[in-house]
Amino acid sequence: MGRICALRGRGRSEQRVRIGNIVISTKDNVASAGSAVRAKDSTDPLGVSSEIGRKLKQYYDELVSDDVPDRFAQLLSQLEAAEMARKED
Amino acid sequence: MAVTPEFKRDLLATIPSLRAFAVSLTQNSDKADDLVQETLVKAWDKHASFQMGTNLKAWLFTILRNEFYSQMRKRGREVQDSEGVMTERLAVHPSQHGKLDLADFRGALEQLPEDQREAIILIGASGFSYEEAAEICNCAVGTIKSRVSRARTRLQDILKISGEADYGPDAISSQVMGSNAA
Repeated sequence: MGRICALRGRGRSEQRVRIGNIVISTKDNVASAGSAVRAKDSTDPLGVSSEIGRKLKQYYDELVSDDVPDRFAQLLSQLEAAEMARKED
Repeated sequence: MAVTPEFKRDLLATIPSLRAFAVSLTQNSDKADDLVQETLVKAWDKHASFQMGTNLKAWLFTILRNEFYSQMRKRGREVQDSEGVMTERLAVHPSQHGKLDLADFRGALEQLPEDQREAIILIGASGFSYEEAAEICNCAVGTIKSRVSRARTRLQDILKISGEADYGPDAISSQVMGSNAA
């Protein structure tokens, strides 16, 4: 069986994995993922550079962080109990 | 097939997002919580049709949205204006130094038609992709893109924001519309 070893390129984020005679490099993937992130930041019409995008997130985050009333956990427990009861019939 | 503990746990974990989406749709926290309750009951009943490993949040948002529109139809779409929300908040005063007050923003959001409001919430706040949002709203990806674009333009008009940051509205809408072709 081929040996598996990892090589780290000096001074860059490339990672190469050698399996037998085959070397797999992560360099290309890393580079393209990085540029995809940058492209999203600069062209996203609702991104961080947009006042509307920021307000939208602020509005929504405030709603998400609202305390959840107990009624929902109780509801799920009731549904679960009802299901158990059905199974025992 | 019985509901698994994982499914129940994941349902619980999604409740804060469901409530946020429900408030965005209904503009009313009591109605929103009733909607979330209906959604949870429906999701529980239909759990067998959920495919494990797919996006539970998107599945639940779809149920919630369908429930919202079916309730609206039953009530003859009188929901929004019945409490005078629209008329009362039509006037939004220009903000100082371009800094937007959150209450002003909420008021502006309420003035959007439902289809535009839900699109901009799904894309700009709930973290869904255009493809996921299209699936949730049962429409084409291009439709979501144009609704987001119109919602954004409308919000800018209402809030009197011009020349957003480095990117003008024209450049952005053409970018959004341009990518429709893809």
